[in-house]
Amino acid sequence: MENLKFEATKYTPEINLDATGTISLVGKSYPENTFEFYAPVMEWMEKYFETSPADTTVVNMEIIYFNSSSSKLFFDFFDLLEENSSDNKVEINWIYDEENESAEEAGEDFIEDFEDLNIKLVTK
Amino acid sequence: MDISQVQTMVDQDGIIFLSYGGYLSQSLISSMTEALEKEAEDNGVNMSISNNIFTIFIELSQNMMNYSKSLEDETNKAQGLILVSKDIDFNYHIHSQNIVSLSDKEKIEPKLSEIQSLDKDGIKKRYRELRKSGQNTHGKGGGIGFYEIAKKCDSIEHDFKKIQEDRYYFHIKTTILTKKEK
Repeated sequence: MENLKFEATKYTPEINLDATGTISLVGKSYPENTFEFYAPVMEWMEKYFETSPADTTVVNMEIIYFNSSSSKLFFDFFDLLEENSSDNKVEINWIYDEENESAEEAGEDFIEDFEDLNIKLVTK
Repeated sequence: MDISQVQTMVDQDGIIFLSYGGYLSQSLISSMTEALEKEAEDNGVNMSISNNIFTIFIELSQNMMNYSKSLEDETNKAQGLILVSKDIDFNYHIHSQNIVSLSDKEKIEPKLSEIQSLDKDGIKKRYRELRKSGQNTHGKGGGIGFYEIAKKCDSIEHDFKKIQEDRYYFHIKTTILTKKEK
């Protein structure tokens, strides 16, 4: 499966989808059409788990701030990861600056909402 | 028009910037957000509070952009007003005003009334319930924007003013305190 990469813009994060099992999203997220923007990412993830997932999939998310539609999208993204976490080993790192309390709280909410997922809070 | 009057108003009310106009585009929103980032950095606003300011600003302006576009036709041009100001205590105020239809008003009002009736923990709980259920999700978003704003500000007020049949000014005012009691 081919890797997929998106460069960061002023309002979208840098995204690296590496078929060897490392997924990363780093930056800000407030696209105008969030679901449209992330559609290729969600499709890639689904295909990845269907065809050739790595033994361990590591997801690194470092989102400084995001709009509410991105919040919904990340929820759907974690939902997809959770659906695949029984057959696959998935580790998620929610990375934030220690001064960024909103990001910390967002991470804690995702941990509570996805009890079956292995989400770690990681401060920079 | 005398531009010095505008300057006086900007100085008196601590306005950082305001934008009124035609087309509120995504690139304009991101440029204004960058200006806000610079402003927050220069004033040493802590990261958590400044991220709340950016999120609220983005939420309000993207909301306005979407509502205005949906009403745009030959007689109604997309228009909106967004204003960011800072008072003498360094608290931030973000206002937005745009025109909505009666059916938009009827969709918005119950959400804002619900928000007014809840405390902070109630808002956070409702936000997560709605995000999880996806019941408000539509083409542009999760339908949780007002809850996102309410979660991240210290006060949120709103009013509707009828302009003509099926058209209302929709005004939102949010306040973000920069010096919080710990």
